[in-house]
Amino acid sequence: MAIYLRPASLKAALSTLAQASGKGRSAHPLTVLAGGTDIYPTRAGKQAWLESFPRDFLDITQIPQLRGIRRDGRAILIGAATTWTDIVAARLPPAFDALKQAALQIGGLQIQNRGTLGGNIVNASPAADGVPPLLALDAEVDIASVRGERSVPLASFIRGNRQTGLARDELVVAIRLPGHRASSRSLFLKLGARSHLVISIVSVAMLLDQGADGTIADIRITVGAASAVPTRLAALEAELRGERLDASLIERVTPGLFSVLTPLDDVRASSHYRRAAARILVRRALANFMEPQVEEVAA
Amino acid sequence: MTKKPSEKSSGASKDPTRRRKVASGAGVPSAVAAKARPTTSDMVSVSLVVNNVHHSLALDPRTTLLDLLREHLDLTGTKKGCDQGQCGACTVLVDGRRINSCLTFAAMYDGAQITTIEGLARNGALHPLQQAFIDHDAFQCGYCTPGQICSAVGLLAEGRAKTADEIRELMSGNICRCGAYTNIVAAIQQAMGQS
Ligand SMILES: Cc1cc2nc3c(=O)[nH]c(=O)nc-3n(C[C@H](O)[C@H](O)[C@H](O)COP(=O)(O)OP(=O)(O)OC[C@H]3O[C@@H](n4cnc5c(N)ncnc54)[C@H](O)[C@@H]3O)c2cc1C
Ligand code: FES
Ligand code: FES
Repeated sequence: MAIYLRPASLKAALSTLAQASGKGRSAHPLTVLAGGTDIYPTRAGKQAWLESFPRDFLDITQIPQLRGIRRDGRAILIGAATTWTDIVAARLPPAFDALKQAALQIGGLQIQNRGTLGGNIVNASPAADGVPPLLALDAEVDIASVRGERSVPLASFIRGNRQTGLARDELVVAIRLPGHRASSRSLFLKLGARSHLVISIVSVAMLLDQGADGTIADIRITVGAASAVPTRLAALEAELRGERLDASLIERVTPGLFSVLTPLDDVRASSHYRRAAARILVRRALANFMEPQVEEVAA
Repeated sequence: MTKKPSEKSSGASKDPTRRRKVASGAGVPSAVAAKARPTTSDMVSVSLVVNNVHHSLALDPRTTLLDLLREHLDLTGTKKGCDQGQCGACTVLVDGRRINSCLTFAAMYDGAQITTIEGLARNGALHPLQQAFIDHDAFQCGYCTPGQICSAVGLLAEGRAKTADEIRELMSGNICRCGAYTNIVAAIQQAMGQS
């Protein structure tokens, strides 16, 4: 008694989902299935402890509207079921380099070929590597149900550790990135116990736009895996905006500016270590945008 | 044409009402009927091509691609290491791309072409990567080897790796408990030189 549905259109998927999540006796939750790389690993653990695992799935991988990257005016839309491999292969402006660098560090190639951007944000892990680059890009989440469409900032869509504002009858359709200046550059740095196939201990995404006079016109800094939800460092951004991008800035990245983070103590690292590592990664990221010799100062 | 799955299933299933509410009516997309169609109460029919052989099967929809290969098709070359995406022992190629077969339902591959380690040799001649793994002694116990080789076939097709470091990085989804990494990289370099 397990249900597996694989609709070929968004409309069909939404009406199926609406029916399944309706109130009353017909309610029968369907689990949305994209790459399955987050859903599936939880199965082995749950089975080992005799816990129930979802049985009924709505596979969204055959819905063409959900896959691929396109422009919508100045914005760029990434379909929710677009894989990491698709993102790496796409031609995107330098503001998206951080997202590509994150894509290249998600699991191994086998995971990147199946895992999707939509799955990464809906799963809402504090360590989701797609989230810091998307927050730095001011991403919005396009959501649809039979009731209609809505768009919410990613920053409010993710509400906590594995919690989102998605209703049971809704699908994430796309991630919407508003226009960015062609001069914006970006970078993603991830710290794990080794270089690949690891859950981030801390990650940092930085987007930087430098004016013609060498000062910082705009900067966004997000830290992942150091709070329940990846967090923008607004105070640090304000501190650096308008300043000249040179080595002296590294010293301005002081511990106090990281007090918004609420890192966990867990098997991967202590809270103290995570906070210190976040600061080092931010300094490294800044140095990366400067002349090559500055990198040593940051370490 | 939309065929209501519940028409067939209601007799056999233990709790037909519950299922019918979801699986029947206007909300059931026609694609569900056309592809991976629910047949009996528990089964979906799946047809796929594995190593150039066509198979049509009725499966519990939760059957992983790995279990389909090993338990239903007796293709035991593909190994189960962790069963949760961490080790790469179960790597196969789907339409030429490497994936972990343990992390995915077979029903998701209706209509796909799957290649496993058993499908790499041609007319009795080993695939260049299989030969290179032997030439370089690129294994010890051999448990990770089918996954390593299928993964490396995907790597060569992607064409992104040029240096030894890039090979190591892009093979990071495959773990070797015996630590044969040095020889695995050498074997892949040999095969790269030939292709
Ligand atoms: C070995 C391994 C290594 C990994 N490494 C990393 C890593 O380094 N960094 C990282 O961030 N993640 C990692 N992951 C986690 C995972 O691969 C990613 O989060 C991936 O992007 C999830 O996408 P998916 O399509 O596979 O999601 P799925 O597993 O299909 O879905 C995840 C959740 O999102 C829901 N969902 C999916 N799409 C939609 C949609 N369009 N609308 C509504 N709900 C939806 C599902 O119902 C489910 O709750 C790893 C996983 C494994 C197994
Ligand atoms: S068995 Fe699939 S990755 Fe380990
Ligand atoms: S050869 Fe034994 S695990 Fe790789």
